[in-house]
Amino acid sequence: MIENRPWLTGFSHLILVLGVLVVALPVWVAIVASTHPANAFGVGHIPMWFGDQAFANWHQMLIGKEGQASHMLRMTLNSLIMALGITFGKIAISLLSAYAIVFFRFPFRGLAFWVIFFTLMLPVEVRIVPTYEVIANLNLLNSYTGLTLPLIASATATFLFRQCFMSIPGELVEAARIDGAGPIRFFFDILLPMSRTNIAALFVILFIYGWNQYLWPLIVTTDDAYYTLVMSVKRMLSVPDGDIEWNKVMVSTLLAMIPPVLVVIGMQKLFVKGLVDAEK
Amino acid sequence: MSDLVLRNIGKTYANGYQAIPSIDLTIEEGEFIVLVGPSGCGKSTLLRMVAGLESISQGDLLIKGIQVNNKEPAERDIAMVFQNYALYPHMSVYDNMAYGLKNRGEPKSEIETKVNAVAQMLGLEELLTRKPRQLSGGQRQRVAMGRAMVRDPKVFLFDEPLSNLDAKLRVQMRVEIRELQRKLGTTTLYVTHDQVEAMTLADRLVVLNKGHAEQVGTPMALYDRPASTFVAQFIGSPSMNLIPCTVEDGVLQLGADCQLASPQFSTDKIMWGIRPEHVDIVPLQDADLNLQVKAVEALGAETLIHGSVKADRDKQYPFVVRLSGNHAPDIGQLIGLKVPQHAWHVFDAETTKRIEAL
Repeated sequence: MIENRPWLTGFSHLILVLGVLVVALPVWVAIVASTHPANAFGVGHIPMWFGDQAFANWHQMLIGKEGQASHMLRMTLNSLIMALGITFGKIAISLLSAYAIVFFRFPFRGLAFWVIFFTLMLPVEVRIVPTYEVIANLNLLNSYTGLTLPLIASATATFLFRQCFMSIPGELVEAARIDGAGPIRFFFDILLPMSRTNIAALFVILFIYGWNQYLWPLIVTTDDAYYTLVMSVKRMLSVPDGDIEWNKVMVSTLLAMIPPVLVVIGMQKLFVKGLVDAEK
Repeated sequence: MSDLVLRNIGKTYANGYQAIPSIDLTIEEGEFIVLVGPSGCGKSTLLRMVAGLESISQGDLLIKGIQVNNKEPAERDIAMVFQNYALYPHMSVYDNMAYGLKNRGEPKSEIETKVNAVAQMLGLEELLTRKPRQLSGGQRQRVAMGRAMVRDPKVFLFDEPLSNLDAKLRVQMRVEIRELQRKLGTTTLYVTHDQVEAMTLADRLVVLNKGHAEQVGTPMALYDRPASTFVAQFIGSPSMNLIPCTVEDGVLQLGADCQLASPQFSTDKIMWGIRPEHVDIVPLQDADLNLQVKAVEALGAETLIHGSVKADRDKQYPFVVRLSGNHAPDIGQLIGLKVPQHAWHVFDAETTKRIEAL
């Protein structure tokens, strides 16, 4: 847009600045709160500037008090395993199902697609009781498999890859056939490299989805060796009596925020390319 | 030995639609055959059947005497150049050309020798490390051809390979394709809807109409003696003038005021045709036919005069005259035309097939 109206520019900037403030303020509060002693919040106001307990708080959360090791690293690892398991599982299974649906003619192909599509209406929250039952019967409670497996099947990703594959020109498929590429070679030599950016974009979305899972891990784990970071934040808030240690809660919150932020920053370029790509 | 034999080949789709009823064609080694026809005539289907991308419903397809009906495309020893080139976008030019050889399991050193030799022939040496998106249309076209040539196939298949290029490049690539094919001596099947391409490239032309081979022959044979009105109108640009009329007692009745002496034909209801370039302009009093000018296209070297002639109970028929040099008749003016008998083409009005004087 080539317009030169100073008040309009000013107004747009005002809106943008307000937007940034609204989004950034809670993050700021979390960062600041993680640097204060526990009792700073009891008096009913929220500090807006750093305190002097940053090192102590973080040290205590990451390393542990003397005589009592911290669960933080263990939980971070659990979260990471769950998030990556869900992400790679979803990508692998969606790639395969989309490949079957787009490139192979088999009976009830259309039905298969619509059944997959239908599961969009059944997220974990809706089917949580039967899913729990299945996982419990399979003896998968308190295991990484139990944490990730029920979340892996994904209609969204299948649909996205289907659209991506359908945009691959038929001539290219035929050229590969003439070049002697069978189904497996075609998948690995041509389809996979061509959907590279889509996979990257999906990776970002799915990693955040997996990382932020809360309800399912809460239900399926009772052994604290399998607790995840996001769960722990909630657990620290439900103290039966006594004060909530907000400073520590904020440390865990920040810790839980870091990996998704890193993933987004690290894959920013590919992510945007994958969503708006016109390279084909 | 004939290289490629299509014996009673036909294609019927699952829904019962018969795209190609039956085609017989024998192609000799090193021949350049062009399949030409309007869109929907089945020419691409036929090519894809030869390639193995489309199943064959009936008949036999033989390559070097071996029946290949049910063989996979890769096993038929053919190579195809697609309309949109179909280069693998994520591979370099080198990998694009080498991919087929890699899949065949040829040793790396041999692949390198072959790719480099072809790249040199096509002037692609500088581009081998580039990705297809970094190439111009003409270069992509060349890579697509290179990919086909590297495999040293028994048959080349081209599916309208030039239709995405601009006019100038198209002429250049046309010449290049012809030269390369002569040099390699590979049997070639080429599909196009562009009749200039068809005429200039082909050793023999196959004109397809609704899945039938209307006529098979050298470009000049088709031009000089088209077997039907369809071929007559398809080959030659601008296309042949055709006027329905009757022949009775040695007189061709081209209209109320136009009668020409004519030999007798087996039927009296005919389609009478003459090519635009075989018509001469004469003073009105010597004319066989009068043309009312509607539009003039001056192309410098030649002039096309579009108009209409009155024939068959005063009906107007469009008529085109092609003259060399520059002419500038006025719009609406009447021009006298001479239509020499040796340039006539006569077709049966009912069957649309060519008929000769008795």
